[in-house]
Amino acid sequence: MKVTFAHMGNLYITVRALLEDLGAEVVVPPMPSKRTLSIGSRHSPEFACLPLKVNIGNYIEAMELGADTIAMAGGVGPCRFGLYGEVQKEILTALGYKFEMIIVEPPQGRLRHVLQQVGRLVGRNPVGRYVRAARLAWAKMTAVDELERLAQAARPFEGHRGAATAALASALELVDDAGSPARVKRALEEGREVLRAAREPGGGNSDPPRIGIVGEVYVVLEPFVNCEVERRLGEMGVLVERSIYIGDWVREHLLKDVLRLRKGRRPYELAKPYLCHFVGGHGVETVGSTVEYARQRFDGVIQLAPFTCMPEIVAQDVLPAVSRDLGIPVMTLVFDEHSSDAGVITRLEAFVDMVERSRRRRASRG
Amino acid sequence: MVEMAGMAGMAGMARKAYLGVDVGSVSTNLVVLDERGDVLESLYLRTRGDPIAVIQEGMRTLAQAASGLEMAGVGTTGSGRRLAGVILGADCVKNEITAHAVASARVVPDVRTVIEIGGQDSKIIILRDGAVLDFAMNTVCAAGTGSFLDQQAGRLGVPIERFGELALMSTTPVRIAGRCAVFAESDMIHKQQMGHRIEDIVAGLCEALVRNYLNNVGKGKDIRPPVVFQGGVAANAGMRAAFEKALATPIAVPEHYNVMGAIGAALLAAEQVDRRGGGASRFRGFQALDMDYAASSFECKGCPNLCEVVNIKMGHEVIARWGSRCGKWDSF
Amino acid sequence: MGEVVGIPRALLYYHYYPMWKVFFESLGQTVVTSGPTTRAVVDAGIKVTVDEACLPVKVFHGHVLALAGKCDYVFIPRLVSVERRAFICPKFMGLPDMIRCNCRDIPRIIDSCINLSRTTREYMRAVYSTGRMFTGSALRILASHNRARTALARYTRHIEGGLTPDEAMAVMGMAPSFDEPAHGTVAAASSSGGGPAAAMGAGRVVVGLVGHPYIIYDPFVSMNVLRRLREMGVTVVTSDMLPAAVTEREAARFPKRVFWTLGRRLLGAGFHFLRSGAVHGCLHMRAFACGPESLIGEVLERECARRRDVPFATITVDEHTGEAGILTRLEAFVDVIARRRKP
Repeated sequence: MKVTFAHMGNLYITVRALLEDLGAEVVVPPMPSKRTLSIGSRHSPEFACLPLKVNIGNYIEAMELGADTIAMAGGVGPCRFGLYGEVQKEILTALGYKFEMIIVEPPQGRLRHVLQQVGRLVGRNPVGRYVRAARLAWAKMTAVDELERLAQAARPFEGHRGAATAALASALELVDDAGSPARVKRALEEGREVLRAAREPGGGNSDPPRIGIVGEVYVVLEPFVNCEVERRLGEMGVLVERSIYIGDWVREHLLKDVLRLRKGRRPYELAKPYLCHFVGGHGVETVGSTVEYARQRFDGVIQLAPFTCMPEIVAQDVLPAVSRDLGIPVMTLVFDEHSSDAGVITRLEAFVDMVERSRRRRASRG
Repeated sequence: MVEMAGMAGMAGMARKAYLGVDVGSVSTNLVVLDERGDVLESLYLRTRGDPIAVIQEGMRTLAQAASGLEMAGVGTTGSGRRLAGVILGADCVKNEITAHAVASARVVPDVRTVIEIGGQDSKIIILRDGAVLDFAMNTVCAAGTGSFLDQQAGRLGVPIERFGELALMSTTPVRIAGRCAVFAESDMIHKQQMGHRIEDIVAGLCEALVRNYLNNVGKGKDIRPPVVFQGGVAANAGMRAAFEKALATPIAVPEHYNVMGAIGAALLAAEQVDRRGGGASRFRGFQALDMDYAASSFECKGCPNLCEVVNIKMGHEVIARWGSRCGKWDSF
Repeated sequence: MGEVVGIPRALLYYHYYPMWKVFFESLGQTVVTSGPTTRAVVDAGIKVTVDEACLPVKVFHGHVLALAGKCDYVFIPRLVSVERRAFICPKFMGLPDMIRCNCRDIPRIIDSCINLSRTTREYMRAVYSTGRMFTGSALRILASHNRARTALARYTRHIEGGLTPDEAMAVMGMAPSFDEPAHGTVAAASSSGGGPAAAMGAGRVVVGLVGHPYIIYDPFVSMNVLRRLREMGVTVVTSDMLPAAVTEREAARFPKRVFWTLGRRLLGAGFHFLRSGAVHGCLHMRAFACGPESLIGEVLERECARRRDVPFATITVDEHTGEAGILTRLEAFVDVIARRRKP
């Protein structure tokens, strides 16, 4: 049995560690590319959202490398993601692929079912082994989050264009290779060093503009589908932060229901004047994080969403009110398989120009 | 004419001037501004898919008109801004939103809304006190842009120059539906077959384009007068009238409406030169443009993205390279 | 002194209007609705919503704006869920918020949160707090609610008996007064007499129409699909006319329970139409960029491709749809059926 799964940013590092440590043979799909997207869009429903299409491409490319089992997360709505697994299974079966799909549904309070599904993936294991694998995966996940944050902080000050991104790639490789939590720790320390070295002392603008990235989790975390918004902004000299990191997503998506963490969380409180009810996906988080960035006096917010994403449409609909009330520029970028780098770059440049000009103006006014 | 001594010691008695170049997919525009920002020369050329040749052609034309001028700054914009920037040796390479906003604010200082519709895309820019507050570009397809109008005028057998006047003669514009160009066209054909008059169809088309523009590009934007309409389509009186009707406010079309991007690029270049405290422009000079420039591309096989990497050569020397998503070819 | 409660004639109006009307009237209020959807209503809605929103949501905004100045309150419940472990659609969950952010100068919004996904208690609390706006008597609220439920049950029986919402409301004497039934008269509907089985026996063409009620029953949004089909001599069975037991049973063929209430009904109806032999053709009418329907439609298309015995067609509508295109598709679809039936 060779297990594969869909890509979402650097999540593969964590998932691979978890599954391999539990004894599964893992095939990581090739990083998403134009080929992935074109295979995926060819076989997916036209109006399905982008993640479903790229997932299909990932699965097919992984099966070309010998994978025969697909691990996928489920969901209970109202976002479409919850039905992805079943629909993808139909699509791939109709194409003639032979595979098993194991859909791990969110626990809704019952952890046993989740463990059963995981058990189907990796075989029987003593409890101790689960704990060990989970600790390794957790360590990697936290390390990846930290490295990504360091890269965001380094880009506006990097010595030469691309230095921080290259440093991040080498640091992530170290973490990916580490075989134990202790080694992950060492890899992380080394990674911090590499990323520090990418910054040039006195390089860049000493007070760069700050832009927050909010939106739907997949498009926010997967640089391939968002035309590398984060890197591009960083290389334009912008200090970028995003509302979601993989660790947050896992905590929320997989553990939320076990620990009942959702209510009373900060984004929900902040979003209340504009959107006071859960709308599925990350709709409320998008609105709440925009309010948060405005309060922290960020210079702008960019919302990323897949075309036809329902929760983000609700958020997008109320964001102009947030922008007006709190005086923070907000731009929405919608992505589908037709998005082009050129279009995104022009919009990003114009947004950064706008933000910088208003900063300069404020500065000159004193 | 005011005599500008300028940097007399460095460049003889030459007057200082700024060059702006806007390379779009349909047209390439060049302007020369004097030090006050007034237009001395302007050129509107078809890009015809060969931006390098068009830039060279434009520069040869300008070289004569600009003799006796010292190019103190050069700016480029448009989708071909990087290419033009490399060939010319630009001081400032800027996106077209910023360029259009700057130019518009120069012509109509209190402008609060800029509607720009060019050959392949359209945008809206909201300004307050001369600074950009908000903007958007078309997200759907080219159904509202110049190329589409040209095409439809051709299909209806109306010369594009007369398209606007014809629209003004309509008394009852028909309603034409369509999210994208193809559907709009088929609905238009349908209306024609139902026996509607041509001026009503032409006016209906203008209204449909304006409606699509306001509901897509202009959606949620705080559109306030003064409104400036620029870009190639601004020449069309029918479109202008349709905007005036939809927005219930007079619309200003600037004298140099079709080269505003280039004007903005020149103004931004002047700003940039000024900010770095003067000094010589990076401009390669008019002579350099007779060099042999060539763009070539190859497919990078490094990963399945199969990026098309573009090489720009001046003579035998590679002067720029771009196009890879990962950036590995960008330095050389 | 009663006040006037306005109910926008869009979205779940087609499901719940009789219930909501009886509830507010039993509490001594006057109920009005917005008029039929018109070009002006749609344009007003498009103007205030993001381009990415679906047409039905835009139309809803237009209806709310049309109610301005005509009532003291506008009823925009937050319909999260109408049954256990299922939702309507994310856009319904954020509807009152969207309206608040986009529409100025509208009557006060009553945004009762209807959520039956976990417990009934939460729902009853919403009923109570809505009622409390008009009366202090819990008993009266309860009685009004019961009367409202009874009206809804009657309404549902009429729909399952083959009437469209307009016809059912006319029969119940609660059709909005200012317009004629949009799909032809009740007589015309009952002339198909005895339901689809009888029509089929009599040699008439029967088409199953799958679609959200706020699309297929809105003559403007659907480009009059019901009337046009009937004018072509077709007997139409909509997804709402099937008993819930049938759609539930059929939807259960899908390996995972569909967590959208309306989506599950559409899927079940589609499966029924494609598999049971009760109709000659199945038509799916959906809104451009509707999230649930992008997946439901895909599953139905795949089912149809596997079976190939019942013609299936999808028609997508949005604000850019031209009527000519729809008519052509409908005519072609009915032709396909007719030619197949020829010996």
